[in-house]
Amino acid sequence: MPIHEKSLIRPENIKTHDELVIDGIDVSGHWSTFIESRVISDYNEALQEEISALPGGENIHRCFQCGSCTNSCTVNALNSEFNPRHWIYLIRLGMEEELLRDKDILWQCVSCNKCTYACPRDVAPEGVMKAASHWLELKGHTPKSPSTLFDTVFTDQVMETGLIEESRTIRGFFGLTNQSLTQGWLIEMVKRMIRHLPIEMLMKMGLATILRPKTKNWDAARDAMREYTAEQHALHAKALKLDQVTPKENN
Amino acid sequence: MSKPYLVVGGGPAGLSAAHSLGILGEKVILVEKEDRLGGAPILDGYAKLVPSGEWAKDAIGSMVDRVTGNDNITVLTSTTVKEQNGADGNFDVTLSNDDTLNVGAIILCTGFTHFDSVNKPEWGFGTFEDVVTTTQVEQMISSGSGVRCPSDGRKPNRVAILLCVGSRDRQIGREWCSKICCSVSANIAMEIREELPDCHVYVYYMDIRTFGLLETHYYWKSQEEYKVKYIKARIAEVTSDGEKLIVKGEDTLVKRPITIPFDMVVHAIGMDPNVDNMLLSSVFDVNLEQHGFIDKGNAYGSLGATTHTGIFVAGAATGPETIDDSIAQGSSAAMSAIEYTKSNS
Repeated sequence: MPIHEKSLIRPENIKTHDELVIDGIDVSGHWSTFIESRVISDYNEALQEEISALPGGENIHRCFQCGSCTNSCTVNALNSEFNPRHWIYLIRLGMEEELLRDKDILWQCVSCNKCTYACPRDVAPEGVMKAASHWLELKGHTPKSPSTLFDTVFTDQVMETGLIEESRTIRGFFGLTNQSLTQGWLIEMVKRMIRHLPIEMLMKMGLATILRPKTKNWDAARDAMREYTAEQHALHAKALKLDQVTPKENN
Repeated sequence: MSKPYLVVGGGPAGLSAAHSLGILGEKVILVEKEDRLGGAPILDGYAKLVPSGEWAKDAIGSMVDRVTGNDNITVLTSTTVKEQNGADGNFDVTLSNDDTLNVGAIILCTGFTHFDSVNKPEWGFGTFEDVVTTTQVEQMISSGSGVRCPSDGRKPNRVAILLCVGSRDRQIGREWCSKICCSVSANIAMEIREELPDCHVYVYYMDIRTFGLLETHYYWKSQEEYKVKYIKARIAEVTSDGEKLIVKGEDTLVKRPITIPFDMVVHAIGMDPNVDNMLLSSVFDVNLEQHGFIDKGNAYGSLGATTHTGIFVAGAATGPETIDDSIAQGSSAAMSAIEYTKSNS
């Protein structure tokens, strides 16, 4: 198909009909390939507000599309499809369908924060990427990312005990991400730890695994943190209208 | 005794020129072709002015009052100038009522004419009732009736403001930027959002020219506080599906055609040269510049000079101008006129 800028055409928009007659003219086959126009036919007016309600997205409305973020972006240098400027634009104007096309790369931000320092409008694009990824997860467009799952295991443990016990974190994280605990590198790491770490430290680690120690008088802190996170989750759910559960789900 | 001054046009520039001359003890004859003073802000029923935020009827109304209250100023409404002959501080003028005057200097404050949107038929004005102009929205706000769709009086849920209607458009011979429409549109967008918080406002632009401090007070305020959305697209056409207006164009930042439904479309109409400028040019023997506005003389030697010595110009007669600058120019043209008559006497 000798068409200019063919790479810009989405495969699903190319239509060839084996048998099609329009107004008495036969337009079947390869020579009568149609390209459907990629028309934007509506805006989702809630999109910007939803993303700005999530942590990091608060300043998205300041953007004037200069492209400093994309220009300074670590990930963009490796993958030109990763374009924070473009996504900020889509979010601001409510082009949800367009945004969802990039849902599998949008969360790949490495939080280097170069954009944060480059941005002349203090949008904090890194925060927007975080909020947008969060939004994708909360709306169910993408599964929870490994980093979100790790954070969940990690913070749950901190909240519960006030301490981090590494083997428990690893077990929890590997469990949630369906990773085997008998991977070669992990076995090798444990072997070397047993071989090289001082006995006293190994014993402490072993005891910690079994006894699950807790910071003294932790309960008040735990309750306060749980209350706060529950509050925040409720706020985010409300902003994204996820709190409007049907009675069936409520039971 | 020195001769009186003739000020032609009773808008912001003319009111300012007449006032400046009047308070200095000079006799002024202020000629206005309409039946009342105030110019576009009053005659076209503007709402709150940019950038002061004051209601036009209060702000410009007070300028009218101080002119009508000044004994040195004679106001002639529903009057135009028919003939003018003269030079060197001695101008003989014939008015439309055949009265004659002898004046020492003339200040033209003849303003502009709003672009008539029917000249851009692809944008639906005159075809669809709910396509209106910024002037009409100003009137909806200033009259207190609120922003409503003219077709059935309903509150719009989604409004598109199209910038550069009658500006920056070679196709219709209007290459100039009308300078104020960006800020006025941002102001209107905020007023709509204030009156109708559930109504979303989209501004379709090619460039935004909210110059100077207006950047903060209009462009960003409208986005940060009022969540007005700006889309870089020049609209190709406005049609209707029988229920809603359909705005078509290209979102240039995402390289996609757009076909978006709206309840109301507002044309941010530009400033044309006064339709009478050809006549004014011949009556007063002043040149027009290439776009048809009154040409300026040497701006550094004499503020407000035209190509005719002793005849001065101020405000939007010289090109698209803000109200504040028109007022300042009226005052400076008055100073130039005084300087001119003193050097002739």
